[in-house]
Amino acid sequence: MGRGWRPILVGGAVVAGTFALAQAEIFAPSAPAGAAATGDIYRGETVYQRDCAGCHGAGGEGGVGPPLFETGLDAAEVAAAVQQGRGVMPAGIVSGQEQVDVVTYVVSLSSPSE
Amino acid sequence: MLIADISETYTDLVTMIFSSTIAAKAWFATAAVVLALVQVTTAARIYGRLSFLPERGAATACVHRWSGRLAFLFTLPVFFHCVTILGFQTPDTRVAIHSLLGTFFYGVFAAKVLIVRDHSLPRWALPTAGLTLASMLVVLWVTSSLWYFTTVRFGF
Repeated sequence: MGRGWRPILVGGAVVAGTFALAQAEIFAPSAPAGAAATGDIYRGETVYQRDCAGCHGAGGEGGVGPPLFETGLDAAEVAAAVQQGRGVMPAGIVSGQEQVDVVTYVVSLSSPSE
Repeated sequence: MLIADISETYTDLVTMIFSSTIAAKAWFATAAVVLALVQVTTAARIYGRLSFLPERGAATACVHRWSGRLAFLFTLPVFFHCVTILGFQTPDTRVAIHSLLGTFFYGVFAAKVLIVRDHSLPRWALPTAGLTLASMLVVLWVTSSLWYFTTVRFGF
C-alpha cells in the first residue's frame, strides 16, 4: 500500500474516534442532584435559548417574562408552567423530551449559588 | 476530577464571558470560519490565484500558517462541547447535517495536515483537502452559529 493512502487511513481513524466519543458523550452530566427531572441539561440549554430566552433572558435574568436565575424554582413548578402556561406564556411551548431537558436546565438556572 | 466537575468547570469558565455555552460556541465557530476564509484566501495567493492581491511571499505563508493554527484552536472548545457533551444527534435535518459533518471534520483536518507534509502526492491533493475542510467548516457554521444568530439571538 502506497504512502498516498496514509492521510485517508489516518483521517478515517480520526472520524471513527470522533464518532465513538460522540456516542459516549463522556462529559454529559446527569441531572442535578435533587431535581426530579432527568433531562439533559445541555440539550435543555439549546431548547431554552431557542424557545424561552426571548422572554426570560439569555441567562434567565428576565425580560418580558419573569426572571428565572436563582429564584429557587423546583422541577415540578417549572414543568407545570411549561405544560399549563402562566400569564401571557402559552401552554405547551415545548413537549416530550425537549420539555424534560429544558426543565432540567431551568432548575439549574434557578438553583441559588452556593 | 469527576466528569460532572469538568463540564461544570467548562460551563463556569465560558459563562464568565458569554451569556451561555451556546453563545460561546457560536462565537468561537465564527472566529474559526473567519480564519478559514483567511486560510483559503492566502492559500489561493500562494498558488498564484487572486493576483489582484499583493504578493508578500513569506508573509503570506506566515499568515496562512498562523490563521490555520488559530482556527484550529478556536474549534477545540466547540469540539469539547459538541462531541463530549451533546454527542451525535439527528432530531432534525439541520442537526443531522451538523452532527455528520462535525464527525468528519477532524478526520479531514488530520488528512489535510498529512497531505501538507507529503510532497509525493499529486499537486491537486492539498488544495482539494483544504477547500473541502474550509467548506465543511462553513456548512458547520451555517447549521449552528448562523442558525443561533438568526433564530435565537445575536449577541454574546
